[in-house]
Amino acid sequence: MTDRKPLYLMSPALAWLTAFMVVPCLLILALAFFRRGIYGGIEYTFTLENIALVFDPLYAGVFLKSAGIAGLSALIAVIVGYASAYAIAAAPARRQPVLLFFAVLPFWSNYLVRTYAWIVLLNREGLIASMAHWLGYDGELPKLLYTESAVVVGLVYNYLPFVILACYAPLSRLNPEIAEASRDLGGSGWTTFRRVTLPMTFPGVATGFVFVFVLSIGNFVTPALLGGGQFQMIGNLVYAQFLTANDWPFGAALSMFLIAIMMGLLTLQTFATERASGTRPEAT
Amino acid sequence: MTLLSLRNIQKHFGAVRAVDGIDLDIRENEFFALLGASGSGKTTLLRMLAGFEAPTGGEILLDGQEISGVPPNKRPVNLMFQSYALFPHMSVAQNIAYGLEMERLPRAEIKTRVDEILEVIQLGDLAKRKPDQLSGGQRQRVALARALVKRPRLLLLDEPLGALDKKLRGEMQLELKRIQDEFGITFIIVTHDQEEALVMADRIAILRDGKLLQCGTPHEIYEHPESRFAADFIGVMNFLPVEQRDGKLLTASGDVITAADALDTGQRGVAAVRPERLHLGDAQGENRLTGKVSALAYHGLDLQLHLMSPAAPDPVMVRLTAGEAETRRLAIGEEVTVSWAAKDTRIFAV
Repeated sequence: MTDRKPLYLMSPALAWLTAFMVVPCLLILALAFFRRGIYGGIEYTFTLENIALVFDPLYAGVFLKSAGIAGLSALIAVIVGYASAYAIAAAPARRQPVLLFFAVLPFWSNYLVRTYAWIVLLNREGLIASMAHWLGYDGELPKLLYTESAVVVGLVYNYLPFVILACYAPLSRLNPEIAEASRDLGGSGWTTFRRVTLPMTFPGVATGFVFVFVLSIGNFVTPALLGGGQFQMIGNLVYAQFLTANDWPFGAALSMFLIAIMMGLLTLQTFATERASGTRPEAT
Repeated sequence: MTLLSLRNIQKHFGAVRAVDGIDLDIRENEFFALLGASGSGKTTLLRMLAGFEAPTGGEILLDGQEISGVPPNKRPVNLMFQSYALFPHMSVAQNIAYGLEMERLPRAEIKTRVDEILEVIQLGDLAKRKPDQLSGGQRQRVALARALVKRPRLLLLDEPLGALDKKLRGEMQLELKRIQDEFGITFIIVTHDQEEALVMADRIAILRDGKLLQCGTPHEIYEHPESRFAADFIGVMNFLPVEQRDGKLLTASGDVITAADALDTGQRGVAAVRPERLHLGDAQGENRLTGKVSALAYHGLDLQLHLMSPAAPDPVMVRLTAGEAETRRLAIGEEVTVSWAAKDTRIFAV
């Protein structure tokens, strides 16, 4: 007899997700193949125009720009997050939970509040500008707020705790004797990191990168607040199609591509993690 | 020729003196064992030799050169870790090649040397496996090969057989000795298992509380322990409480013990004798003892007796050879006299 218990236990969650997530998503996706009504709304005639429009250089450009910003944010978050996680994992064992708690603390506060906090920091009369003047800098400061860099900074800041957690898990499980073995066999500190520590903790890096990328590429709050409408990311575009332009079919087509990119990356990351976990740290 | 000299080596962790002034000379091609219980400082000493800990004081001379400040990757010394510490993301062959790649040897030479050593450890057909696809014994051999392939001046082994089951351990003891002989590399092994040390080592150093208690060949250590601790730690030993009175050593039951050593008048101590030095009957030496058989254990090669005697608080252990046991049928509860020679008796003050 096969044990059906897991299925019973999962069914409430599955039913919930199917009814309120999968079905609405499918409905939205179906919209992508209909025509937009002249005064908004939907005209139920089949068309591929919306899909074709996604590949219009104007919109493809937004996709590329979003991917660039998300990629840069993910890269910076991974470098900064990995270094932090490494430092936490190297700290005395009894201090690690405290350090992790502080690293993750911002995550528990409201996303909007955190993002507005950056406006306070970056605006023309903001904290950074005041500090610069107080330190005696009188010249014109470069524009900080409402730039691409501000968006990247905001995204990195928001998703950093996640990267720290993702990288800390494999780093803390590492048997320190393995790095010592590399040193003993003649590896320098850098070689040991490159050939032993990093490959062994790569699943954490991949998870961190993909999550920051996926969450960033679809984000519309940070570009709207810190980018100040200077440029659009896909998230803003989708937002505008549904809520401003009233072009649901095109918004749906854009969403479809966004979801496809995310799912592709998440699948890749799952495979990468699975392959790496095929080589579990040895039991001693 | 002396390969390694330790001069008053110290390692303190805060107030704890993990290694407290050890002097040792280890010869080229020697199979040397550091024997001690946990907390004796043996692993700390090994980690200082590998370069993972800096001594608080003293000198480590390898070929006459002070190496205390040399980082682990620059020492001609390799360590086989107790956990083996194999790289889980690399195959067996890649694990072994790693140390040679660090020396920037030509690819062809690396391959030859890896193949050679795989042959020695008989794992040629598993070269492409990952460590987690190997058994404990196979992993142990890969860890050994990975350190050996670098042909170090000195190979350190931290409890190399600790994770293996008993039967495999016996085989690997002989295997390690064969490999050490074949490669002509000096081995320093850390172990808490006195039997392992006796079987494998050319010389043994007994450590206790960070200090060197005794150093010598297995025979010297076994037959001539210099302290009660060493006598107790190595093999099985019977201890009979004795007191020096009227120029004689007397047991609690009033028997006289004859031995080469003596105590000061009025001083208390113990007479120590190995179970295999005790023989049935009262004519096998100057010393004798009578007791009731409380346990009998037949081991094939020998018969072990426990005697309850007024001379000792604990049962006295007697190990009779099969031949000796056949001369007389023994039963539990029976009264038996055993005797032994004065030269087999060691006296320690308490």
